[in-house]
Amino acid sequence: MNRKIPHICSFAAGLSILVLSQMPACAYPDFQTFITKSSGRPVNCAFCHAHSDGPDGAAPGQIGRLTPAALERLGRARAAFEPGVDVDSPILNAFGNHIIKSLGKRKFLEIRTAPEQLAVLLPQDSDLDADGIPDVQEYRDGTHPLNRNDGRPLLLLKHNFQKNLASILLTMAATAAGLFGLRHLLLGFAQAMQLEEATEEKEEI
Amino acid sequence: MNLREIVQKIEAYLAERFPTGKLNYASLVEHKLVPVHKLSWAYYLGGLALFFFLIQLGTGLLLLFYYQPTVSDAHASIEYITEHVPGGALVRNLHAWGSSAMIAAVIVHLLTAFAMKAFARPRELTWLTGVCLLGLTFALGFTGYLLPWHQIAVNATKIGLQSIEQIGQYLPGRMAAWPSVIKETIQGEPSVGQATLSRFFALHVIVLPLCMAALLGLHLFSVQVHGMSQGVDEPPRRYEKFFPIFLIKDLSLWGIAFLALFIAALCIPFESFYAYPLFEPFNPKGSTPDGIKPEWYFYFLYYPLELLPFWVVLLVSTAAVVVLLLAPWIFKNTSRRTLRLLAAVASLYLFVMTVFGEKIYQLFKH
Repeated sequence: MNRKIPHICSFAAGLSILVLSQMPACAYPDFQTFITKSSGRPVNCAFCHAHSDGPDGAAPGQIGRLTPAALERLGRARAAFEPGVDVDSPILNAFGNHIIKSLGKRKFLEIRTAPEQLAVLLPQDSDLDADGIPDVQEYRDGTHPLNRNDGRPLLLLKHNFQKNLASILLTMAATAAGLFGLRHLLLGFAQAMQLEEATEEKEEI
Repeated sequence: MNLREIVQKIEAYLAERFPTGKLNYASLVEHKLVPVHKLSWAYYLGGLALFFFLIQLGTGLLLLFYYQPTVSDAHASIEYITEHVPGGALVRNLHAWGSSAMIAAVIVHLLTAFAMKAFARPRELTWLTGVCLLGLTFALGFTGYLLPWHQIAVNATKIGLQSIEQIGQYLPGRMAAWPSVIKETIQGEPSVGQATLSRFFALHVIVLPLCMAALLGLHLFSVQVHGMSQGVDEPPRRYEKFFPIFLIKDLSLWGIAFLALFIAALCIPFESFYAYPLFEPFNPKGSTPDGIKPEWYFYFLYYPLELLPFWVVLLVSTAAVVVLLLAPWIFKNTSRRTLRLLAAVASLYLFVMTVFGEKIYQLFKH
């Protein structure tokens, strides 16, 4: 009896792979088009998906490469119609999962025709990459919400300056101290040179 | 003229350009003076370029400990440096910001040296080595751009190498094949791949820095023995001592430049100026992402290439290089006032193309 269980499991997994691979892989280009148009920055599927070419295909992060366990997680994420479900879809990245968890699949599908709504409906204070720019702002700017090196330069400057203020002040103090010391060292050498010259002149006289 | 006279002439020429008699403590330190006038600030630019070069050497050496020059590992090693090596992101950013700062400093140094007629006799060879150093700096920028092996790096390099090949159609006879040969030699294989990366790595890390060090040595030697050029048409009324006054000011500027570079590298990732898909690993089977273009310091050449026929850009840039190389002889009798005007026009062109190049391109293309 127990021996049959693995067979049943592998049959179910195989069946689900077959069913899921026949289903259309729903990437939503409406959002991508909106971001590119509003921000002027080109973006790709990696904004929300695990793979930059989207969910179709057999590369890591795409449906063709999913293990039975990953397919199960995908199924759960696809069934998360209401907000608040802790989804972990293997074809989405952390931002994609964050969208589904915050809005639910139903609401997400509803706003496809008005993608600008996503920036209003997502939690305003969430900052997944901790770069100081909220995810909704990154969505509007076309910068990646999971890449702390990607963001509007001035906003990154403001955030990183505050974050590294102690290091900056210490470096300023060290540079100033170094220059102060170097200046006095050089002035000292120059005075010694003049003194030497004066002594030589006196000796000549 | 017999051989002896020719040799004597060459000797005299070199003796005037490299007066080794001045290689003593008194000439180089004790009695060396720097003119003080309205363009004195330009005397600091060469030192600033040297400072950025030293930063590049230091940060480049540190990056070498982790960087892997293979198409399979290059991008991953860069990500490893940025995300996992302590201080790696700072060092990498210092290298990226430093390269731009160095190129900017070298360009402004060249323009001000031109405006101040710093190429006038006996400083012709100082000027020539300076122009070659500018070329080497651009070459370092071009070869270094490919090393991270991301989308923009590989695709921009492809465009750059294609431009070399295009030159062939304007050359006569057998010479028409030369650019293709040069391109294939640099590329190392039919398309940009492992051989290209290996060659660019060797050029960027060994060949070009060694050439740079040799030329820089000659340039600095020449600058030291001749001292600062007069810089203005009317004789300067005031001078200051090179040691210690000018040197202290120079080192203070290095300190300020270091702080500016440090803050920029710590707070603004260089990549933030571009769209993130451009920094994904290069995928030879994938489509080319939008927004591929060279680094900002090639815009003055890139946007004209996009807008004008290739032969026009080729002709103008060849003429510009020839004029730069022969400046000491072409502008021998030109006043500094005229040179300042020419330098201002060149600066304006570079500024407009660098800052507004894309807007101009869109205006004419759409």
